[in-house]
Amino acid sequence: MRRTDEVYVVGCGMHPFGRDESVTGMDMAERAIREALADAGVAWEDIGYAAGGSDVSGKPDTLVGRLGLTGVPFVNVQNGCATGASTVLAVANALRAGEASLGMAVGFDKHERGAFHVSAARYGLGDWYAETGMMLTTQFFALKTRRYLYEHGISERALAMVAARAFRNGSHHPLAWRRKPLTEQEILDSAEVSPPLTQYMFCSPGQGAAALVLARGDRAFDLCERPVKLASLAFRTRRFGSFEVFSPWLPPGPHRSPSVDAAEAAFRAAGVRPADVQVAQLQDTDSGSELIHLAETGLCGHGEQEELLSAGETDPTGRTPVNTDGGCLAGGEPVGASGLRQFHEVVRQLQGRAPGVQVPGAPRVGFTHVYGAPGISACSVLTV
Amino acid sequence: MTTRLIDEVLFDDGDPPRLAGARCSACTTVVFPRQDSCPKCSNGAMSQHVLPVSGRVWSWTLQAFAPKPPYRPPSGGHRPYHVGYVDLGEVLVEALLAVPRAEIRIGLPVRLTTVPAYQDEDGTEVVTFAFRPDLDGER
Repeated sequence: MRRTDEVYVVGCGMHPFGRDESVTGMDMAERAIREALADAGVAWEDIGYAAGGSDVSGKPDTLVGRLGLTGVPFVNVQNGCATGASTVLAVANALRAGEASLGMAVGFDKHERGAFHVSAARYGLGDWYAETGMMLTTQFFALKTRRYLYEHGISERALAMVAARAFRNGSHHPLAWRRKPLTEQEILDSAEVSPPLTQYMFCSPGQGAAALVLARGDRAFDLCERPVKLASLAFRTRRFGSFEVFSPWLPPGPHRSPSVDAAEAAFRAAGVRPADVQVAQLQDTDSGSELIHLAETGLCGHGEQEELLSAGETDPTGRTPVNTDGGCLAGGEPVGASGLRQFHEVVRQLQGRAPGVQVPGAPRVGFTHVYGAPGISACSVLTV
Repeated sequence: MTTRLIDEVLFDDGDPPRLAGARCSACTTVVFPRQDSCPKCSNGAMSQHVLPVSGRVWSWTLQAFAPKPPYRPPSGGHRPYHVGYVDLGEVLVEALLAVPRAEIRIGLPVRLTTVPAYQDEDGTEVVTFAFRPDLDGER
């Protein structure tokens, strides 16, 4: 008998990422949910607890008007890039607490083109910060990357290797947005946005939706041939000394990211080591972020990334496959959906039915990582 | 032409103005701009603390495209500009860098200056803080 305090993913669904003017955020969410329900072989009426997240595309709980007015408790989450992980956490905790035996987590978004709009006041900053042109996420990623390359002796070509792998993986993935492979040189030669990062080293705000059906351990194996265990999920905010987006000042250092804390907690709770991970998702809003997150999560040491990348160790056939669906770089970033896309890809990889390139050798341990403003990170370990 | 500082809370009342942060009486953490509580220890009293005027570039980048509002471009329109963190010893401050591309690098000695940010509707030139190369700093 499986324990009732264990939580499993028993179904997943996803609306393709990209741009499609014919659908709204809610339309995509509905499709992802129906696909997840069908995948689990259950009906909306069976869902005893739900959580949904969207940054800009509406109140998720209004989806009950489309899915069925069953009276189900439905929590709305708006938690930046950690929105998806937060919906999974809310549902998993409710299942563990005995509120329900089956739950739904959904995330969706549909953004305007171009860089995200910002409001200084929303981040507790003076208007001067945005008016003088310093409040851009792209600048932060470039500044953190520039410093990281300098401190660890990594070349700018490593950034191109990250993006080239993302577009290569995306080119094989039916749900990805950017499906044209690009060479490292094309990536390096693309328009300068904020050096060392070029246009093709950044993801774009886009649209998409993803949903998961989660079940308590006592139900999971009746519903699903190959349920994927949520072995751990840890969510952290920043501590003093972290180097975050929208920071008019920083302490002298050392600078420790919430990604380090979240990853350590997730590995500890799951009882696995970073070296055990056989398929990973890392937040790659830009090439530099993925490069840094590789080490911050413990998947490699600081400064080892370039060697790892050039040896193909982060490719689907390598030792630690990363972003096998092309990540945010190939998928774009619908903020509310992005974290659940990560779960969708890792779950399908562990079940041996990846929509794109399948990691060979029946991987058993997966990992997801998100990072967002102003200093939040969530990491999970998934196992079969 | 009249000029004004973009936000007086960022500066002391000297001439030329220097950056004004705050320092915690308990743990000596320095923050910028000033705030009333310490983000590190939550214990001490915060008092105004004038920041050093010279330091070194800690990281830098370029803003190649024109940001969306609420960014306000200078009167001649957006031109790509450099941004970075300057290591002032007790604190790193994010700032515009009035440094040419050929000279910019991590470790470059820089000194506080002011640059035009934008013009008010009445033609008042609004200035903000920035750092420029410090030719005496290379010693």
